[in-house]
Amino acid sequence: MVNQIHKVLIIGGGHTDIGHETELDGVIYQTIQTFQRLGIKTLLLDNNPYSISLESVQPSNMFIQSVTVDNARNIIEKEQPDAILPTIGGLLAIRVTQELLETGVLGENEVRILGMPPLALQQISNPALTQQFLTQINQPVIRSQVVKDFDDAFDVLRDIGYPVIIKSVSPWGDANRQLCENEDQLDSALESGFEQSRIHQCVIEQSVVGNKEIEMVAIRDKSGTKLLISGIENMDPIGIHSGDSIMFVPTQTLTDREFQTLRDATLSIIQALKITGVLHTQFALNSETHSYYVTKISPYFDRSVSLAAKATGYPLAHVIANLATELQLAEIKLPDNYAKQIALMEPTVDHVVAKFPLWPFEDVPSADDHLNTVMKSVGSTIGIGRSTEEAMLKALRSSQLSPKDVLPQIKLNDNELIDQLIHARSTQIFALVEALRRHYQVDELSELTKIDPFYFYKIKHLIKIETETIANPMDAKTLEKAKYFGFGDGMIAGMWQVSIDAIRTFAKESQILPTYKAVEPTAGEFDKVSTIYYSTFETENESKKLEAKSALVVGRGGNQLGPNTSADYFTVSLLNQLRKADYKTIIINTNPNALSLIPQLSDKQYVDPIQLGDLLNIIELEHPEVIFIPGNRHYLTRELKKRRLPVVVLPPDQEAGVELSEQANLELSLFVTDDEVTPIELVRLLSGDHSNQLDQVSGFKTPPTLSEDEQNLIITQAVAEAKKRNLRGLVQVLFLQSQDQVKFTGIRPARLTEIAFLNKVTGVNWIRILVQQKLGLLSPDSLATFKLNLHPDRVVLMQFNYPFNQLRVKNQAGSSQQQVGAEIAFGSTDEIARQELSNTEQKNK
Amino acid sequence: MAKVVVDAMAMQRALTRITYEIIEHNKGIDDLVILGIKTRGVYLAQRIASRLQQLEGSEVPVGELDVTMYRDDIEHDGKENDPTVTAGSVTFPVAGKKVILVDDVLYTGRTIRAALSAIIDMGRPESINLAVLVDRGHRELPIRADFVGKNIPSSQKERIRVSVEEIDGRDAVEILHK
Amino acid sequence: MAERYLILEDGSSFKGEGFGSSATTTGQVVFNTSMTGYQEIVTDQIYHNQIIVFSQPTIGSTGINHDSYESILPTAKGMVVRDLASISKNRQRRLSLDQFLKQNNIPGISGIDTRYIIRKLRKTGTIKGSIVDVDDDHAFDQLHATVLTNQQVAQVSTPKPYPNPNTGSNVVVIDFGLKNGILRQLSKRDCNVTVLPWSATAESITNLDPDGVILSTGPGSPFDLPETVLDMIREIQSKVPLFAIGLGHELFALANNATVTPMLSEHHGANHPIRQIITNQIIFAAQGQGYAIDAKSVDREKLIITYVDLINGTVQGLRHRDFPAFSVQFFPDAAPGPDDSLDIFDEFTEIMSTREE
Repeated sequence: MVNQIHKVLIIGGGHTDIGHETELDGVIYQTIQTFQRLGIKTLLLDNNPYSISLESVQPSNMFIQSVTVDNARNIIEKEQPDAILPTIGGLLAIRVTQELLETGVLGENEVRILGMPPLALQQISNPALTQQFLTQINQPVIRSQVVKDFDDAFDVLRDIGYPVIIKSVSPWGDANRQLCENEDQLDSALESGFEQSRIHQCVIEQSVVGNKEIEMVAIRDKSGTKLLISGIENMDPIGIHSGDSIMFVPTQTLTDREFQTLRDATLSIIQALKITGVLHTQFALNSETHSYYVTKISPYFDRSVSLAAKATGYPLAHVIANLATELQLAEIKLPDNYAKQIALMEPTVDHVVAKFPLWPFEDVPSADDHLNTVMKSVGSTIGIGRSTEEAMLKALRSSQLSPKDVLPQIKLNDNELIDQLIHARSTQIFALVEALRRHYQVDELSELTKIDPFYFYKIKHLIKIETETIANPMDAKTLEKAKYFGFGDGMIAGMWQVSIDAIRTFAKESQILPTYKAVEPTAGEFDKVSTIYYSTFETENESKKLEAKSALVVGRGGNQLGPNTSADYFTVSLLNQLRKADYKTIIINTNPNALSLIPQLSDKQYVDPIQLGDLLNIIELEHPEVIFIPGNRHYLTRELKKRRLPVVVLPPDQEAGVELSEQANLELSLFVTDDEVTPIELVRLLSGDHSNQLDQVSGFKTPPTLSEDEQNLIITQAVAEAKKRNLRGLVQVLFLQSQDQVKFTGIRPARLTEIAFLNKVTGVNWIRILVQQKLGLLSPDSLATFKLNLHPDRVVLMQFNYPFNQLRVKNQAGSSQQQVGAEIAFGSTDEIARQELSNTEQKNK
Repeated sequence: MAKVVVDAMAMQRALTRITYEIIEHNKGIDDLVILGIKTRGVYLAQRIASRLQQLEGSEVPVGELDVTMYRDDIEHDGKENDPTVTAGSVTFPVAGKKVILVDDVLYTGRTIRAALSAIIDMGRPESINLAVLVDRGHRELPIRADFVGKNIPSSQKERIRVSVEEIDGRDAVEILHK
Repeated sequence: MAERYLILEDGSSFKGEGFGSSATTTGQVVFNTSMTGYQEIVTDQIYHNQIIVFSQPTIGSTGINHDSYESILPTAKGMVVRDLASISKNRQRRLSLDQFLKQNNIPGISGIDTRYIIRKLRKTGTIKGSIVDVDDDHAFDQLHATVLTNQQVAQVSTPKPYPNPNTGSNVVVIDFGLKNGILRQLSKRDCNVTVLPWSATAESITNLDPDGVILSTGPGSPFDLPETVLDMIREIQSKVPLFAIGLGHELFALANNATVTPMLSEHHGANHPIRQIITNQIIFAAQGQGYAIDAKSVDREKLIITYVDLINGTVQGLRHRDFPAFSVQFFPDAAPGPDDSLDIFDEFTEIMSTREE
């Protein structure tokens, strides 16, 4: 380990956004835990109100400020950390650290960079340097050159060959990238390109559109030991952002030679950059010529790294934290639940993981859902299986909330369908299924979509099984096959037009039972390696019922716009509190970036679709004493309750006990027990368009500026309203303040985003109190010392962030359902708090 | 223009092979000492010594010989006049030992001859063997290396540049055209 | 496709779907945990008389490629997979795995809980198994009664010498069940190669005046080969640079008085860290071994241990103290597997070129 490293500043990733979800907070959390074990003190700079990391460091080491160079510099000057860790806060942390390096802040304060040498940080921060670096180490990069006339352009073309892309340099207006595949196209593209350019120049660039997009994740230690964690294959070709592509681990269509070539390239890049940590590489692979180009190198934690960790079961976050301190792979001590050699082994898996994107288009209908090089998806779900079909189908089942209809029909005429095949949209997978249903030829489809035929054969196989299943109702062999390839109870029930229970009973009678397999990185070499399981229908079941009393927590699934990030925060807090209450905890979730799937945060993790059949299978194995379900799963809750299972809906369902008018701008949160009503916090609701419409709330502020009389009126009335009703737990009473009056407008169970806000503002974990109440463990006097603070010496402001820029839609006042993340700021005055948030906005531009 | 003729991997391999050959030739490492000629020869000597230790589990002493030349020895860009070699840091006796003399490039042989005199001045070793990373030819004295990493036939108009990770930040042997 | 069964010596039976040939076969059941390269694996002669269980669930997705053969005529006894993708679609992939196995009379069975079988084999050790149409008592009786040959090397080695001409160093390869990867690597380094049968004598080798000799990989037990092979090795190692791989490594160890013992369960995969002792570096390589050299038995006056598997502690490389002769247990030619140790072939050619002078 590096000597004299006692204090490390971790640069956080800021609010969640398109491109980075909770995985950054997850890795920061695990890094803090690891550093703690190594005796290293952590300082954390972040302003994400849904962060579990911010709650895992001492308040004095927590800097809830926007992630900017200025704030980082202030912390460095004041706290004098020994080192800075830039590799787990996404691109933002890399950018901030790079600037701290360039401006000499790190040098002056003798702060070392962990994870990579300063040179590497520079090499990856500047595209020209990156190109130069890769060329130097003989890695092929996409060639591009500025040209001044037709002769120049054709000289370059003769060198690099078709297809090429022409871009205008410093264009007068918005200029398109034009793809050229022959002389005519090139002539006309150049003509318009030169014309549009202020300086009469174009860039001619080799095009790899249509190539396979392959990613690799590798790690390296100080001594130069390198290993590949995983390859990842994008089903969609280059041209569709990898964040929007369906992905598979392990790679599905690469020959050994292709795979090893990309592994070699990755390892030689990580070696040349001298990284002590993780590297994520992206490649364009031409499977006809077996040639490749390096398209991106990211030596920091990102969503592909997160996927590689989840898919292999390799304790990646823990290992990366150790590597950053310059420990060698062979020296790393793993948490108890891993065999000790695991850190040094190249993961080898015996399952398939499919990852499907989730879209924002329902919440932002004006956005264009064509898939291109700009990422649009806001979340994803994974399916794990023992065949490509099973993994795909499980991911697909998880990517929609309806319990049935997995291979739905899409209503398009042939022209529209072909157009969708060529210009992929968010509904692409359904277009592919539909085209195969209409018996389009695989080779033709592969030509149109540039998707490897392999995937079409797999989808065709699913359609065939579907057809056979429909034709053979209540046939055991048919059922066995359908389940073997990933069809769920709900789907089969739909096809056979019987109830899910009928399917389940029939399956049990026919001895068609789920078996659970461990997600672990050794293909069964070690016995005790994992607490993560997925279901399949085979011979051996590896998951044994937990011995002690257990609680099952149902995760939220893939991330979507709205309060989902806060839901993940809530779920983790729930797991923690259940553990404290002596429960063994079990989580089921499908979101590869979920905090709640971090293995250390629960005793057992199931990665299976959150659908009734899959859930019942787990319940029948584990017999949990209590089942926690998030409030948005109405169908599941109803069905489980019907079966008299011990279900608790937490956070409370918004459908239960809500009385609202449309408007409010003040909110008093109360904690209600059978005996008492305790006021917690008085909050002003902010709406971006100042409409005071509840569905347009885009932030919170406390304290609200109110007169003493108004405050008293609100508290008295709120308590009275709460007492009139049967609501328990965290309750919000809403008011509308207009001109000179304040009037009661509604009451509801507390919402997720507000709970996160309340926790940060009051310093009390209200989720703990809620869980204790639900479990009957809340002692009557535990709230006795709590007192609503009406005159705090600071202002707290929280504001939602919206994805409008990224989705290329008109900037608008967003609703809470459209939030992609949020930021929180503390200030001595309104002005200072507001300043802190606008800081971030500046930074984002 | 610099052309890499030995990359980092190849340099590692050459040192590994030389190490095995030293063991093979000396029937083990008893009584072995290594003397590196400054600057880069010392780093190569240390690497060979650490390889020997990895394999045999015991330490082989490494000493440094200083060369005084009228030109910078980094680039081997001209013929050497007869240089002076002195015991820079040799903290052990060489009398009765099997000495492995290590240099990066073997060229005219004049540096080696001076080194041999310097060693013999320190005491009478049992034997002296020469290990070099690169033999580029153009010998002016009857001297040959016992262990050679790579023979690189070169013109006198070319320069050979050896870089080592320890001071140059990378491992490589390059030919530079004047 | 027809329902078929994989039956094992311990009495267990697994129902699956047959593919490839419909032959009934018996062999040792081993597993391979490589994540790519099923074609290289099934065509590798080390699997002579073996039924291979693949941990990688989807097999067949890249068809059959001209540059992925490790031998032209595979002699494995079967493939056991979870999920078969039988793909053949363009010029390069004119052949599917299914068709290829049919042509070569090798049966496959898919839809098997391969993870379970692998976990089981790790405990029971390598056992016999059959791919059959019916899993009745008769099938088990047949399985128990079948005695597997110990003439594996003789069956797969070339009967006659053949050349692979080139302009570089003159290399003789002794074929114990040669893997094409070795020839591919020698060819890349311009070596002029002559392949000799496994029974080649020292004299017939030295007659060709080689700059170096390679003892190839091969199937089965090193004890099944006659003492004359060890005599040949003892003589050659003192005369010419020698490089031994896999079975060749086990023979090299035996020729130098080390003890070789069968492993409880064969290890085939590419995920174990292997430490190169001299540099202390860690590499990954394809491994496929049923036997291991006992480290304690290695005479340190004679041999140096050069590579060690950090997971199971097995000796992965040896070098003679007195001669330029060395060996590795793993497969440095990759194909399939990591390229981390390809440069051992450079080491070999460099030894040859520096000794020539």
